[in-house]
Amino acid sequence: MSTERVAKVFFAEAIARALGEAMARDPRVVILGQDVGRFGGPYREFAGLHARFGDERVRDMPVAEASMVGVGVGAAAAGLRPLVSITYMDFVMLGLDPLVNYGAKLRYKTGGQLTAPVVVKCTAGAKGQGVAHSQSLESWLAGVAGLKVVAPSTPADAYGLMVAALADGGPVVYVDHKRLFPTAGELADAPAPVPIGRAIVRRPGRDVTIATHSYMCRVADAAADRLAADGISCEIVDLRTLWPLDVATVAASVARTGALVTLEEGQLACGIGSEVAFRVREEVGRMRVVRLGAARAPVSGNPRLEAATLPRPDDVAAAVRRLLDAKADER
Amino acid sequence: MIYALAVPGPIEDVEELRVLQWHGEPGTRFAAGELIVELETHKAVVEVRASGPGVLRAILCPAGDWQAVGRTLALIGDDDAEPLPPPDAAGARFDVAFEVT
Amino acid sequence: MDRRALLASMLAIRAFEEALARHPDAGFQLFSSGEEAVAVGVCAALGPHDQLLSSGRSIGPALARGLDPGVVMAELLGRATGPCKGKGGRGHLAQPAAGFFGAHAVVGGNLTIAAGVALAMQMQRTGGIVACIFGDGACGSGALHETLNIAALWKLPLLLVCDDNGWSISTPREAALAPRSPADLAAPFGIRAASVDGMDVIAVRDAATALTKHVRGGAGPAFLACDAERFSTHSTATRETRSREAMEAARARCPIRRLAQSMRDEGELREDALATLERDAADAAASALRFAERSPPTDIDEIRRDVD
Repeated sequence: MSTERVAKVFFAEAIARALGEAMARDPRVVILGQDVGRFGGPYREFAGLHARFGDERVRDMPVAEASMVGVGVGAAAAGLRPLVSITYMDFVMLGLDPLVNYGAKLRYKTGGQLTAPVVVKCTAGAKGQGVAHSQSLESWLAGVAGLKVVAPSTPADAYGLMVAALADGGPVVYVDHKRLFPTAGELADAPAPVPIGRAIVRRPGRDVTIATHSYMCRVADAAADRLAADGISCEIVDLRTLWPLDVATVAASVARTGALVTLEEGQLACGIGSEVAFRVREEVGRMRVVRLGAARAPVSGNPRLEAATLPRPDDVAAAVRRLLDAKADER
Repeated sequence: MIYALAVPGPIEDVEELRVLQWHGEPGTRFAAGELIVELETHKAVVEVRASGPGVLRAILCPAGDWQAVGRTLALIGDDDAEPLPPPDAAGARFDVAFEVT
Repeated sequence: MDRRALLASMLAIRAFEEALARHPDAGFQLFSSGEEAVAVGVCAALGPHDQLLSSGRSIGPALARGLDPGVVMAELLGRATGPCKGKGGRGHLAQPAAGFFGAHAVVGGNLTIAAGVALAMQMQRTGGIVACIFGDGACGSGALHETLNIAALWKLPLLLVCDDNGWSISTPREAALAPRSPADLAAPFGIRAASVDGMDVIAVRDAATALTKHVRGGAGPAFLACDAERFSTHSTATRETRSREAMEAARARCPIRRLAQSMRDEGELREDALATLERDAADAAASALRFAERSPPTDIDEIRRDVD
């Protein structure tokens, strides 16, 4: 067994490392966004890159997401490999025309003559900043033919999925989360690749499968700790990629546990959980299932309201208990 | 007396920090207000300064190591002669002031 | 590009569209007739390293750029031999290898894209520039504002060409745009602009040449507003809103008749030569149509190809 050198890094450092390596290797990789230059990114996720690669390759843009995304997509179509940084996922909406109507459809509409290898990085999630600075919209984008959507929950996957996204034919939407930036985790000196489209069993268990992604992985983990004290063993599957979805990994887990909880910070209606639950049911047949997500309301910046709007570890634990107590017949 | 120099807190959003740089080595004497160690959070540097005099006796978390808020980074003594206690022995906290920059 | 070539290029577009319009499978089309001089004049200023983008009114720009009429017709009629394999149609016609980066059917949707293409070309130091033709209907969009801003800030090698036919389907430009002229939109950004008679292909060519020279020199973007007339409805799916008198006045400005007359006046074109040239253009259009009709339709399996 080889001794693998690992170091503990902050989530943002993993992103900066992936970008620094890609930019050193490939002169086509550029970064476009607000506060990406000397400021080093709103979460320091681009720290050191402007000093290394300069104004030409790390470009601050005006607060104008339509042109940020459009310029990124157009530049990708013409041979660059841009990363467009959208500080708040809420504002990816302003760039949906170039991303969805052009970028996602470019390969198809030109019969393969043009492609758009662009990564649009968005920071999702609620953290006290109010109704228009808190959304998790990945389910909107997972439904767009031609887009891939990834969402790391650990520094190792933040690195691995960024490497994969930058190498992909694109477009790839890379969704990180405000509450993941304070976290730290191990990243190897020579990390194993993290492919797009592959979920991972984060925590093995016997009694229930919790399929989740991004910051909710940590909420699921906290819930699993509480349930373990009561003898309930939770298996947590971190989806990592929201499209293409790795149904097989979730289905294999549910085939063992017989019960599925889907957990997301976004809205339940037409959410990731709806897709996961239905696709797993197609594979596995009868199973007990419940979806957890935000209450159907905007997420206020008022901390008490925010906390009550989103799933908390106790909410997840209670849902698991109700699910396991319910009759074995699936809904 | 031997004291524990612990990671100060609470700091909003922060659970664990990386040791960035020690500004002394075993035997270094600190006066009140002097910078002992810099710690790194995900978005800032924390400067840890002595509140009163002391001698750095043992660094338990060298630069590059991680430590959680409230846990011990180093041992501080009133002088540099007193024998060090066993590693697990609880020590009184060495008073520090900290600034998040 | 000499006057004979300009005339032939405009005739080719006119004849192509006439042939297409008669075809039972023509489907939903936007025609360039009347506006040929804009595309032809601009393309006369472009070279092999440049890229042209257009709106959904793409037939004129694509043919003016030099795309083979047969493959263009094939694309419009949903054949496998179209450059987009019949999957884009008129609204998304593209052949980047031939310098036509492509049409995009969203009003104003190609503007920020064109800025991105220009950024890539600037960074790659190809020496090429980007021209993007859009209608006056896109002038009210935020996308144009954002494109002008970033192009000026970064001195992008971008020529923005407003093909101003005065109408957004049924809304006249005066009701849709506060500035008197589209070229006024460039001034706040310090972008060099010119306004020309879009029915005078020589004027368009000369203005485009001057502005592309400015852009090629690295001085930044430029804006060319062309006052033009469309001779048919906005699209095959829209009703005509103009009066008969207005239509006649528009057709009186025909760019083909105007250039031909000018060439006759200067002894450059014999009396019967125009008829011969028109016949040649009709033959070429018929040939393009035959090529398309003989081409296999796009394979249904193409639905699942080129998605990711």
